[in-house]
Amino acid sequence: MRLKGRHWLVLWLVVFLLTAGAVVARQTAAFRAARRLRELRDQRTALEARRADLERRIREASGRQVLVPRAERELGLHLPADEEFILFPLPPAAAAAPSR
Amino acid sequence: MAKPAVRIAAVQACFALGVAAVLARAVQLQLVQGARWAKEAEAQRTERVVLPARRGTVYDRNGVALAVTQEFFRVGVAPNEVTDRRAAARLLSAQLRVPQGAVARDLAGPKRWLYFRGPYTATQVQPLRGVKGVHLDGDFLRYYPARDLARAIIGALSPETTTGASGIELSLDSLLTGVPGEAVLLKDRAGRRYDSPSRLVRRPVAGNDVYLTLDAALQEIAERALADALQAMRAEGGDIVFLDPATGELLALASRQASGGAPRPSTITDPFEPGSTAKLFTAAALLAFRRVDSTDRVSGENGIWRMPVDSRGRVRVITDAHKERGMLTLAQAIQVSSNIAMSKFAQRLAPEEQFGVLRDFGFGSPTGIEFPSESRGRLERPDRWQPLYTRASVAMGYEFGVTPVQLAAAYAAIANDGILLTPTLVREVRRSDGALLYRHRPEPVRRVVSSEIAARLRAFLAGVVGEGGTGERAQLANYALLGKTGTAVRFAGGRYVRGEYTASFAALFPADRPQLVVIVKIDNPKGAYYGGLTAAPVTKSMLQQALASHRVAIDRSRLMPGDTAAPSAAPPHPRASIAEPAAPTVVVPWPDPGDADSGARALPVPDVAGESVREAALALHRRGFRVELRGIGRVTGTTPPAGQTAAAGSAVTVWTGGVP
Repeated sequence: MRLKGRHWLVLWLVVFLLTAGAVVARQTAAFRAARRLRELRDQRTALEARRADLERRIREASGRQVLVPRAERELGLHLPADEEFILFPLPPAAAAAPSR
Repeated sequence: MAKPAVRIAAVQACFALGVAAVLARAVQLQLVQGARWAKEAEAQRTERVVLPARRGTVYDRNGVALAVTQEFFRVGVAPNEVTDRRAAARLLSAQLRVPQGAVARDLAGPKRWLYFRGPYTATQVQPLRGVKGVHLDGDFLRYYPARDLARAIIGALSPETTTGASGIELSLDSLLTGVPGEAVLLKDRAGRRYDSPSRLVRRPVAGNDVYLTLDAALQEIAERALADALQAMRAEGGDIVFLDPATGELLALASRQASGGAPRPSTITDPFEPGSTAKLFTAAALLAFRRVDSTDRVSGENGIWRMPVDSRGRVRVITDAHKERGMLTLAQAIQVSSNIAMSKFAQRLAPEEQFGVLRDFGFGSPTGIEFPSESRGRLERPDRWQPLYTRASVAMGYEFGVTPVQLAAAYAAIANDGILLTPTLVREVRRSDGALLYRHRPEPVRRVVSSEIAARLRAFLAGVVGEGGTGERAQLANYALLGKTGTAVRFAGGRYVRGEYTASFAALFPADRPQLVVIVKIDNPKGAYYGGLTAAPVTKSMLQQALASHRVAIDRSRLMPGDTAAPSAAPPHPRASIAEPAAPTVVVPWPDPGDADSGARALPVPDVAGESVREAALALHRRGFRVELRGIGRVTGTTPPAGQTAAAGSAVTVWTGGVP
């Protein structure tokens, strides 16, 4: 069957619309992926900031400047003199055992 | 009137001309100027942006972050874009910690743009993302999670250029700085930007991470102890150094000045006259040149000696805090820190010999630590000494200046069986993906004294902290240490200031196979000012805290009672306690085990041609050679020539006017 002029026109129009649609869809997907990527990056930045903040707070809370006065005041502890602690040598078997 | 054919021809010609003009213009735009217009069009819809590279993190030796780069934000608000102003004001107020009323007023007012400088963390601005009219401006900023811990050492960035301005941030700037990337953003007609991953031109490369040798736990102990000591003694300032003698790694560097202001890394930058802590180096020279043996004695002069300084009968009065009536050996002179005995012993040394040993211990030249503006200290050439006067002064620790780090390195050499190591602050450098780029290995500079002499010097130090020694108050009950006290009249404004002192204490812990060198220096303490009464107890307190802290890396297995060696076992009489040690310990694997001649390892002579005499001498000293100068100016060559090997510790002649 021979295609007439208007059929060609319709065919070209369909091809054009499909191509244009594919381009738009591809671009939309790319923008969506870029937006998702940006959101994830923002989320990661926020989590990193939170981690850094928590690490700082843990460090401050477990620092000698905070712990020692509190231990002295609230628990009645004191910094031990060297004669107040004893080092126990590891038994040879325990020393040789592979650590996990 | 023309015929129709003519008129048609004329119209056709006009059309042809028009078509030709359009074609010509098209050719001009597309072919001749095509590239230019294409570029302009691209510039209108795209934008090239620089992607900043994250600066490397600085950690302590155990991975505690000391300086990190984090993304911070500044917040801009366009009131005309905000849809719900009340909600926006509430959110901005909650997240940015600004008064809600003021924000609400500004949003309702005539201002076209509100700006909150911050900077705010990503956590703070997270709820603001996506709010219409709120624009975030992100930037990488340096952040110091440990706040003031070792801040003088870590340094800071220049606020203008965000490059290192001081401290480690400056000296390791090229390692920490990353390489910025580049990307192309798409823009629409309204100027809105769209990220496009496919248009990344160059990925940013983050800077390298640096692991310092500092131990945050020990640093904290040192800083706290120093602060407490300065307050208790109403002192003007002070320094504390902890160094691992086996590797040269600096574990803690604390500096504090009561005058306030920005912290100054005075452990590295400020020399001081060490006083009696330097007596040990004159003792080293006396032993090295065999000018004294264990039975030699000099009179203590009952605490006051009028030392003749010239042939015209002028005298210098030298006094001792301890009034020694009897005779003193060299070991006893160190134990009671006798200025008189040391001055007398020093007369047996030529100035060149005394100078040479001090120089070999690293005084008068920079240690090579990775830190900007390191002081080389002060050590005059022996030809500028006043022969009798300066010899005695140097023997007592005056007329030359050392930094606390230099003093720590020199004591580490004694702990190390006589081998001087370059102190270091950098333990590792890793790429951002974790790949190892550099790991510090001990860098021997030279053998300063033989291992036998080093062992004898350690035995002298055991006497100092034993019963009757000046450093008795540093001694721990169960663990032995070695140490030397120092008390020097302060030199300020070109003169010695009466009544002002620098108290110091140098310690090796434990006594057997030392793991720590500790230097404590207190500037102008009020009340009791002797090093044995001020700096020594501070050392003891810090060591107790370090032993009790599981975070401080001390090899406790080597502190076991069965493992602790003799110097701690103080016999009843202090004078009898200074025994010669049994066997030297070996801490540093240098020279190589296979190298039979330990004192003469062959090293390549560096090429110093074209450098100034000063630079050449520095380079040669750092390689472990002695230097003999021939002339001044630019160096023309050396003997032995560059590239050839010479024994470590041998002399290299530096020529400036042509090599013969």
